[in-house]
Amino acid sequence: MSRRVLGLFLVAPSLAVILFLFILPLCLSAVGAFRVDQAWGLGNFWKAFDLYTKDILFSAVIVGLSTVLIGVASVAIGGYLTLGTHPVAVAILRWLYRWPMFIPFIVVGQILRAFLAKNGMMNNVAVSLGLMTPLDATSFLDWRGIVIAFVWKQTPFVALLVAGAMASVNREGIEAAVNLGASRLRILFEIVLPQVTTTLAVGLILSFVTMMSVLSVPLMINAQSPTMLTADIAFRVNSYGDYGVANALGLISLVLAASVAWIYLRISLKEQA
Amino acid sequence: MSEAGFLELTGIESAYGSTAVLKSIDLSVRHGEFVALLGSSGCGKTTLLRAIAGFVTPTAGTIRVGGYDVTQQPPDKRGMALMFQSYALWPHMTVADNIGYGLKLRGVSRAERAQKVAAMQALLGLEGLGERKPANLSGGQRQRVALGRALVIDPEILLLDEPLSNLDARIRLSVRHELRALQQRLGITAIHVTHDREEAMVMADRIVILDAGQIAQQGSPEEVYNKPASAFVAAFMGAENLLTLQGSVEGDRLVIAPGPANALGSVPLASRPLVSGAIEARFRPEAAQLFPVDAIPTLGPGMTFRGLVRSVSYPGGVWRHVVQLGDREVLADSLQAFAAGDQVALHVPAPSLFLFNSDANRIR
Repeated sequence: MSRRVLGLFLVAPSLAVILFLFILPLCLSAVGAFRVDQAWGLGNFWKAFDLYTKDILFSAVIVGLSTVLIGVASVAIGGYLTLGTHPVAVAILRWLYRWPMFIPFIVVGQILRAFLAKNGMMNNVAVSLGLMTPLDATSFLDWRGIVIAFVWKQTPFVALLVAGAMASVNREGIEAAVNLGASRLRILFEIVLPQVTTTLAVGLILSFVTMMSVLSVPLMINAQSPTMLTADIAFRVNSYGDYGVANALGLISLVLAASVAWIYLRISLKEQA
Repeated sequence: MSEAGFLELTGIESAYGSTAVLKSIDLSVRHGEFVALLGSSGCGKTTLLRAIAGFVTPTAGTIRVGGYDVTQQPPDKRGMALMFQSYALWPHMTVADNIGYGLKLRGVSRAERAQKVAAMQALLGLEGLGERKPANLSGGQRQRVALGRALVIDPEILLLDEPLSNLDARIRLSVRHELRALQQRLGITAIHVTHDREEAMVMADRIVILDAGQIAQQGSPEEVYNKPASAFVAAFMGAENLLTLQGSVEGDRLVIAPGPANALGSVPLASRPLVSGAIEARFRPEAAQLFPVDAIPTLGPGMTFRGLVRSVSYPGGVWRHVVQLGDREVLADSLQAFAAGDQVALHVPAPSLFLFNSDANRIR
């Protein structure tokens, strides 16, 4: 009995931190989403949908598109690291691809702001190479900028997971496919990728949730409407002190993230069956 | 296509960093022949197999199949199928998909593929397992799926990398014969890597014994077993009992000087390339005959030693004795048990006594 008490006593500090700093605020804000003028109601949600339906769709589409592109890029990187035959190219890629992971989102936003602007580095290079005239230059500082920032920042993380999983795929299984005459591309899609789908899904879901919660990138790159939900939440709180609608928007983005996790759970349950 | 030299290796060399793994291997394999590459771990047998398969590019030498140089060809352009030690089945595919993948890559239609896969499953006794995943198969079934995957593309040469080493000892014995029978039925050329002497003996037409990246000896199982060309081969083929003797060549006989355990004796030279000097004598436990010292019958040509039984055990069939001969201990089998402490005469018939000049003589 005393051992059990001692055990509880030992986990109490961390349990308290989770309860009071994580669970409680989450519950309070979820409850707060349903409070309108000291009464219960769905008013915050009607207001949120009324004002921000475009932004909800914008967020879902932007993050969804980024997730797909991250998946494609990380499979390409992991595949080349696993199946690439040029040792120098593989070594360079292995060294290079992880760097964006160590750069904070706000810095990514700043870098890309300078890079993608109408008179930014990307257009300047294109103009000086004679690929276009200064008049044709357009700014990428809209939804495209957000997608580029997300893919740039999150691909290394997913690629790291995917490349690790691919490296642990039985080497002889790959050689057996080579022996039967499979091309590198077919080996990637028919032999290697099916064996790492779970890892890829985990990486993409974690990325999806991370991207749903990034505030700095939409603020830095896309200072216009429609924008992402995080910017709207910050705006409701900072400009109006409107915690009700902010809480409702928070709950909506939680549902978006949870729906992705639900898809993942279904896949992994099906795999186990 | 000529029968002889269907698969022809000439001067194959391979190195791992600065370490030479294969040193000038020459090997010629007939069409339909079953060749076992036998050696201890690290002797280069798997590297040689991988070089034949095309996964290792030799640093020197050529590999020809049916007269065509395939040394620089990729693995799939050599008409060979390799069966891996780990079986290397694809865990996400069913048995039927695993077997049929090679056909899918060759653009065989779905119907024809299903028919060929079914035929292969029937051949290998895998009926009814087509929809299972490899994880739900026994070791023996996985081994047969791997074999089916290799055979379904009709390779001219089947390469086997220790295909039986992951099986239970009991299953292994029957699979040896099944695999051999299948190879003969299909008339396919097979190269089989193994470190198991008995496996090589019962399966192969020809055994190639590798030692430190070189061919130590090659020949039929009877040849390498009864006429080992070197002390290494003799020891590898089970003649672990070692005695050092002094011998001198006199005409067609080798006269052996008296030693701590033997009187003056001689054996026919029988075309052994020996010179006078220190002799390494090797024999198998089952080749020795034990007699009580006071009742030695008349014996044929060979050497008779006197010794003391140290211990005795019964591994089955015969009694195995540890006998001290001078300062050496040897193993000797006998149908009749002797007790520890008995004085015995140990006779080794001349054909079973493998004699080699000791290293010191060879260097000279």
